[in-house]
Amino acid sequence: MVVKFTESIRELLVGQTVITPAGPLVPPDGLPDVVRVIAADAVSALLDYQDAAYARLYLDRLKRFIGRRDVPVALFAEIARLMAERMMYEDPIRIAQLALRDPDGTERICQFRLDEYVSLLPEVIAAPLLSFLQRIACLDRKLNRRFNARTTFGGRRLRIEASLRQWRAISARSTAERLWVARWLHMIDRALTKQPPAAAAIVETATMLHGYGDTYRQALADWHLIIDELAKPTFAGVLALPDLSEAIAHARAASDPTRPQRALKSEIARIKKGHAEVREKNAATSAPGEASSFNQT
Amino acid sequence: MLHAVLLPLNGYRLHQMLQLLRDVKKSVASDLSMDWLKPFMAKRTCAAGDMLFYKDEKAEDMFYIVSGRYLLVESGIELPVGTLVGELGMLSPSNARTQSLECITAGTVLGVSYLQVQELYVQNPEFGFFFLRLASARLFQNIEKLQHELAEQTPPATAAATA
Repeated sequence: MVVKFTESIRELLVGQTVITPAGPLVPPDGLPDVVRVIAADAVSALLDYQDAAYARLYLDRLKRFIGRRDVPVALFAEIARLMAERMMYEDPIRIAQLALRDPDGTERICQFRLDEYVSLLPEVIAAPLLSFLQRIACLDRKLNRRFNARTTFGGRRLRIEASLRQWRAISARSTAERLWVARWLHMIDRALTKQPPAAAAIVETATMLHGYGDTYRQALADWHLIIDELAKPTFAGVLALPDLSEAIAHARAASDPTRPQRALKSEIARIKKGHAEVREKNAATSAPGEASSFNQT
Repeated sequence: MLHAVLLPLNGYRLHQMLQLLRDVKKSVASDLSMDWLKPFMAKRTCAAGDMLFYKDEKAEDMFYIVSGRYLLVESGIELPVGTLVGELGMLSPSNARTQSLECITAGTVLGVSYLQVQELYVQNPEFGFFFLRLASARLFQNIEKLQHELAEQTPPATAAATA
């Protein structure tokens, strides 16, 4: 645990330099022009959001799609855009940054969950704390926060909060978000290999996640449910969904981040049942000889 | 006074390095057993469905499977207990994972970072030879699997008919 913490501190210190040992932050060679423009804007935004190491992580993640013939330019651009959006997730630190930059100084009242604040702590501290909060059923306790830069005290508090961005890299939330992006990219890669027409739908699932609080938490749960119940078994060959993109579209239509997952689970069950019935019907109607007619010389 | 303190410390350190050298020599000559590396590794518990790493992610450590079932997702290869996995990422030119690893059944793995592996190599260069053998064995295994898949997909060539 101590080794992991010191390594994360070391990464944090390296991330503060704009020019890392690997060189300045420029989009890698081989990017299509439209993606290069998106990547350049994203690097600036990520430098402002976090640090150089975070921006470099974004560029490293883009490299895996360079030169792939099965990735159209439009899809690549969408991946670049959505990945940058997802990597700049909204947490209290980000809201404080935005509130300080608001020229009108409009007061924002945001409702966060208690676990969102706890997950701002380093993972080694946050993990046992979150586990304890879960045991006493306090994870989803709501905390109303005012983000007001107009008053002296409010502005000072926002500046302190915004300065915590330096520690965001070692927070539990940062680890969870990195894992989410890694999983999303993995699912895109699986779609490109197993069912290319569904790749665009997988990419677009990133738009399900935005905001903070209960809405974000519910949307995240919905995303994992859709991926675990539809996409992953399809790519593994366990569930034979010939049109996965349509199935995902139906599931997303049933998903509502403001409500529990009952409707979404019903829709997923309906999709699976409907496909199982079609498969049984096809198996029953096809004659034994017909299946081998293709191979006959 | 200083020498009286340093002499036993250095003596103990020499004993450790000689012991490591003996263990590495034994494993290089054996069937690539990893028991000697275990003291340098950290234990990690995995639940079913956990992903230990994803393809194309930056590779920083390797794992030794102690218990449970694990699947290399892209190739569909299930890894048995006692396998070392993740070593190819260290040798990959881009330092990226070549496949994703998923835990199918809950179990335990031991992890060692590449930094520690490099330290072990500096202390004993023969350790590098051991790793070459390990990585080569894995690459040959992958080639064999690909050849097998290619043979299944390609229809057998028929002899040309003579006039």
